[in-house]
Amino acid sequence: MSARPDATPPLARLQPALTLLPGSAAWQQWRAATLAQLVTDGLPTPRDDAWKYTNLRLLERRELAPAAARPLAANALEGLPEAQGPRLVYVNGRFHAALSDRSLPDGLVQTSYRDLLDGAPPAAVTSPIDADQRIRQLNACMAADGAHLTLTAGSNPRLPLEIVHLHTGGGAYPRTRLELGANSSLALIEYQLGLGNADSFVAAVTDVVLDAGARLTHTTVQLAGDRTVMIDDAHAVVGRDARYAHRLVALGGQLVRFDLRVDLDGTGAQADLRGVLFADGTREQHIRTLLDHRVSHGTSDQLYRGVAGGRGRGSYDGKVIVRAGAAKTSSRQSSRNLLLSKEASIDTRPQLEINADDVKCAHGATTGTLDENMLFYLLTRGLDRETARALLTYAFVGDVLKSIEPEAVRRAIERRALGRLPAAATIREFIA
Amino acid sequence: MSNIHKGDVILQISGLTVKVQGRRILNGLNLTVRAGEVHAIMGPNGAGKSTLSQVLAGRADYEIVAGSAVYLGEDLLALAPEERARRGLFLGFQYPVEIPGVNNVYLLKAALNARRRQLGLQELDAFEFLAIVKDKMALMQMDESFLKRGVNEGFSGGEKKRNEILQMTVLEPTLAILDETDSGLDIDALKVVANGVNSLRTDNRAVVLVTHYQRLLDHIVPDHVHVLAAGRILKSGDRGLALELERRGYDWVLEEANAA
Repeated sequence: MSARPDATPPLARLQPALTLLPGSAAWQQWRAATLAQLVTDGLPTPRDDAWKYTNLRLLERRELAPAAARPLAANALEGLPEAQGPRLVYVNGRFHAALSDRSLPDGLVQTSYRDLLDGAPPAAVTSPIDADQRIRQLNACMAADGAHLTLTAGSNPRLPLEIVHLHTGGGAYPRTRLELGANSSLALIEYQLGLGNADSFVAAVTDVVLDAGARLTHTTVQLAGDRTVMIDDAHAVVGRDARYAHRLVALGGQLVRFDLRVDLDGTGAQADLRGVLFADGTREQHIRTLLDHRVSHGTSDQLYRGVAGGRGRGSYDGKVIVRAGAAKTSSRQSSRNLLLSKEASIDTRPQLEINADDVKCAHGATTGTLDENMLFYLLTRGLDRETARALLTYAFVGDVLKSIEPEAVRRAIERRALGRLPAAATIREFIA
Repeated sequence: MSNIHKGDVILQISGLTVKVQGRRILNGLNLTVRAGEVHAIMGPNGAGKSTLSQVLAGRADYEIVAGSAVYLGEDLLALAPEERARRGLFLGFQYPVEIPGVNNVYLLKAALNARRRQLGLQELDAFEFLAIVKDKMALMQMDESFLKRGVNEGFSGGEKKRNEILQMTVLEPTLAILDETDSGLDIDALKVVANGVNSLRTDNRAVVLVTHYQRLLDHIVPDHVHVLAAGRILKSGDRGLALELERRGYDWVLEEANAA
């Protein structure tokens, strides 16, 4: 039925594309060797534990080579909520100056991933952070551009920074790195936006480093096109008393996986992760998190909600590791999922690996249909069944959506999320 | 609604027989409720009181084996729960469900507008609606924070019951069925709830109080009192019957029925 996992024509086909990429001889050499290894290893399959719920066989017949530059209509960004701050736009992984607003606030310094390509590949790119990071490595091989941003210690820009990744078809390998200096704080909003309906493959990498006491609210709004396969791989290293908050709203795509690894690296580090996926139609939405409590007094809170309708599929696969010595760790993990049709499915697997004493860890996972008692209650108040169902579905993800900031973005996202629900129009009046 | 007059039949239940998971809970129940009346249905635990309330409101997981219920001339049992509500039938739940994320006041507005559409009245805008709700909240001694909360979310038992009666006073139903509305209320809350119910006692409406205890009836004085046991109305009387039940319990009614 499916191809053998070691048959990897799509990766092998990428080899000619390497020669078109910018970079030093050292880079070219590293890329060639790394891609050759990837061709040998093949793409991940559900037989790899970390990919248990994500099947990438769609990629077997997809063009993965980076897309050529294409002219864009002036209204290319009209599908997005209004900009709340400076906006950097990348089209198929490459910076697009005309659509960008580079008036960055004081303290925020922008360089480019391109600058790295002149020297030797740095350890931050080449050294593995995980046992299996084939897609991350694939990004490192193919990425030619990306935002590199540093916020100086103590800075606290008032406006959020927005990074827009626009995909128009073909392969895209966006690469973002953000470092926050000590006691600085920032809101970062990343949009993944599909334009048109061409086959796309996106392998995105976002790396975040928070120095002591830094605070980042990182929001990922995934509005990929209906024929987009996307692996969005984010990694945050959180220093002493720093706080990393992540919000995910996954609305689009054909098959999308969001991989988030958070290392609580300094004592008192905090992670607050919330996300919601909507797998309607034939969409597949997958979330995988890995929360690594490396030192003591860390807290992590995960709240994920999934809604699947039609023949949609979803998964939440979340692992919390508490290392030896990570005493006084506090960790909560909640995955609740709602199935709106008989053909829809959502897998959930919260995992906990505790190697320390004196820790508080809680986790819970449910997958079910709408609560009949709630439904009946709304019906007895005169609401029609369709409205009642939509309302309860919306309420199911309300906790996550409510946590999105700033308010203008939250409202825009809520409107879009609503649009994905049956009977959306009838419940708008409830969401004032 | 204005064409309903005192004494008109609002609800006529005949021979209603209902099974739940194969077990017969109601067994040939008869009851007639007329405009202007307040009925109290009392009975021991497990007699079928809540089943009757839920069946009348349209809960799906009951099997109607025999009998009928006619509401304002229509076959009530053929109507979907939301159609019953829009025709002015209100169920005050014994255990109102918490629905986090669904705003209390928006639900109430949608409920009232659904009712108004059915009556051919214009829907209320937010401003008109709030004026009504604030008025009724004063009656129910509820503060405005209730408006912003999720439906019954984090409410105490007493707050939930107040919220049910608030909904009822806003919706102004033709027939209100209140299932154990007094349970879990302290005496002050009981008086507030009773005030709310009494405010709806008009010639063109009826109220059915389903209750285990007599004390609610000190504050909402019923016209008719029925004993529901063994799935049927075994005995009917006036206010005096409720007091007698309080004194003597239910066993004598069952014995009397068995002897007959």
